[in-house]
Amino acid sequence: MDRLILLLPALPLASALLIQLTAATLQHRVARISQVASLLTFLLAATLLGLGLSGEAPALHRVGSHWGSLLFDPLSVLMAVVISGISYIVHVYSIRYMAEEPGYARFFILLDLMTAALLVMVAAGDLIMLLLAWHVIGVVLYFLLGHDTRSHTAYRYAFWTFFSYRIGDLPLVLAAVLLYQAFGTWSLPEIFAHIDAAPATTTLFGLPLTETVGLLVALAAFARSAQFLLHTWLPYTMEGPTPVSALMHAGIVNAGGFIINRFAPVYIHTGEALHVIFFVGLVTSIIGSVLMLTQNDIKKSLGYSTMGQMGFMIMECGVGAFSLAIYHLIAHALFKGTLFLGAGGVINEARQSDNVPKDELYTFIVERQPAPHRQPWLLMAAITLAVPVVVFALVHWLVAGDFFQKQGAIVLLFFGWVTGAQLLFSTYRMRTQNLWRTVSMIIFSFTIVVIGYTLISHVFNLFLYPDPDMRLGIYAAAGVDFAWFLAFMILVTAVIVLGWLLTYYSDRRQRFGKTRPGHHWMNFYALVSREFYIADIYSWLTRGLLRLAGRLNVWLRWV
Amino acid sequence: MAIWSYLLVGLFLPLFPLSMVFNLLFARVSQPLARAALLLVWPLAGLALLYSLGDDVPEPVLIWALATSALYAIRMLAIRDMGTWTGFLATSVWALLWIPAREGFELKGIAIDSLAFSTPLALLVLIMVLLNRRLGGTYAGVREGMATSLPRLSVALIICLLAAVATPPFPAFFTLLSVLMLASPINMIGMLVVWLLWSWAAARLIQGFVVGTPAQGCNVQDIGLPSSWGLAMVFMALVLTGVLLTGDLL
Repeated sequence: MDRLILLLPALPLASALLIQLTAATLQHRVARISQVASLLTFLLAATLLGLGLSGEAPALHRVGSHWGSLLFDPLSVLMAVVISGISYIVHVYSIRYMAEEPGYARFFILLDLMTAALLVMVAAGDLIMLLLAWHVIGVVLYFLLGHDTRSHTAYRYAFWTFFSYRIGDLPLVLAAVLLYQAFGTWSLPEIFAHIDAAPATTTLFGLPLTETVGLLVALAAFARSAQFLLHTWLPYTMEGPTPVSALMHAGIVNAGGFIINRFAPVYIHTGEALHVIFFVGLVTSIIGSVLMLTQNDIKKSLGYSTMGQMGFMIMECGVGAFSLAIYHLIAHALFKGTLFLGAGGVINEARQSDNVPKDELYTFIVERQPAPHRQPWLLMAAITLAVPVVVFALVHWLVAGDFFQKQGAIVLLFFGWVTGAQLLFSTYRMRTQNLWRTVSMIIFSFTIVVIGYTLISHVFNLFLYPDPDMRLGIYAAAGVDFAWFLAFMILVTAVIVLGWLLTYYSDRRQRFGKTRPGHHWMNFYALVSREFYIADIYSWLTRGLLRLAGRLNVWLRWV
Repeated sequence: MAIWSYLLVGLFLPLFPLSMVFNLLFARVSQPLARAALLLVWPLAGLALLYSLGDDVPEPVLIWALATSALYAIRMLAIRDMGTWTGFLATSVWALLWIPAREGFELKGIAIDSLAFSTPLALLVLIMVLLNRRLGGTYAGVREGMATSLPRLSVALIICLLAAVATPPFPAFFTLLSVLMLASPINMIGMLVVWLLWSWAAARLIQGFVVGTPAQGCNVQDIGLPSSWGLAMVFMALVLTGVLLTGDLL
């Protein structure tokens, strides 16, 4: 029955073909074909997930002898459910949303092609299928983002996306070629078995194969998931239709997290690759969040919010929490998809009435009216740091002596805790006098983080990586020396404390009427508001290359 | 092999500046069928000549070939005329055929690779005829908005361009992949960069023709349904050829 996975991409492909054939006669009714096909695809994916959950063993189903296979395994069926589910919602939404746009049938054809390509990507059982899907996604997205063929702006930014994706295609091709040269097969399970048997295999220039492939796959993931320096396309692609933005932010951009998970058997034999991934993810999440907070344009702000989230997802992979990254991408897909698809309705409602409740939260967040008197911030700071330290110590002594081996878990837990505590710490300045209520909320939030993390991580880990050696191997590959780990934690804590001090200092200045920002602060703000000039530098380089090409043509007389 | 032999082969399997001879000839030939035939036959002649000489290809020639490919790929970025663009792309892709030739691949296999690269280019020449009849030229950015005024032809143009720049699942993609597997590490990276430049150039060309608002009073007639179906069949055949023949699925 798991052979049904071959039908998964076939359904949307058949729908695309049927729409093309019947568009002239059915007119706008073609959308129903697409909708039914996407519903069937979702139901099929859900059935396959059910099979996976019931313990059906992973299997490779081939169409061709050399390549052309799809893999039935927990990762592929879980991702297939996510993709087909989001695709179905986007289909339903688009039926009316796109009704007055030209190229209605073309839109649904492209949407179905995109769904098929995404499903092939997540279920690819060999490198050729993976490369095919990986490339086609970039091409189809280019035309989806440029659906309005009259808009030069839409195509300009669609091109940015296309080009970034092409940059991400190249390392994956290189990784595929290196793996084929080393083992003589395109099949992913066979390649992983070979790597497991001979992890010390070397490749070009005598480099270790696993490390090289790990870094190349990571590069491909960085371009797809808008990591720092390959991120400029994401905030600028809001010219496309809203359903495409939803699909892109909820589904396509998550491909980075997926591909790293798919190559997990390679990463368990790497030394530094996961540390690089962690570092890039960390930088991206910080820069994405900073840029999100400083944009005037709400759409760009949303784009940078996705960038920050993607950074966090990649960072999770870097600390060895692979399955948690999958959970993160699913959660992000759901809330970002809701945000995009709900935006139109919210704007429409807001035109009638703002419906904003005039309560404490509103006056605090929107009107920025904190309580006039100070609260015992030292107590809050102490709780922020003391609670996790006490819990870690208790876990170490009472639950698992080797808990510190899962450094990634601790880093994420610490991040989660500090973020949650900071939010409550700042909201504590609301016009509320109940100190104990706030403290209880802080403790409660931490409990939720711990339980949520432990439970979800455990469930996803067991499902995606049933082999305990694999689970331990991932954490081991992501691990660093205890001294480094400690140094990093101290650094992070210092940065957080510095942030508090800065906030305190700025707050104090404002209190005394010194609202004019300093020179350095203004310079920093200019840098951030211009998005670190990265897009400008790329445009400058592009123009330079085009000028060079033009001059070469003139010198060489156009032959 | 003597230096003059390389110079002779370099006319057909382009090595700069000998590559200029082909581009000059391609620009002079105006008859579409002759142009298409030239695209199909030119590299085959080079391969036949190279194999008849029978000697090994030295490494410097590969570097020269890759540099030629990169030079024309960069120059394509600034080209607006589709005819010149096609000639440059042909030069850029054919130069890569030196790599399998050096590895001693049998002539039949490389000839198929050559056709995988050249067939979409020959098709592009035929599409140029259709464009020329309707727009009076094949210059990107002059008569924009083809997606609105000539939707069927614009789809055909886009698919043909994608096939020409080795987008999967067209045959050139599989050929490029097989050539990549034979290349040395540096050449491999060079080839990937060249591939990236092809895609960039194709996207610029697509945007020059397809995007925008057609000029007022631009009442050109799109290609008919039979022609569209004909082109669709040809593209389908190309995909099948790619997957089964150069892709070696079965």
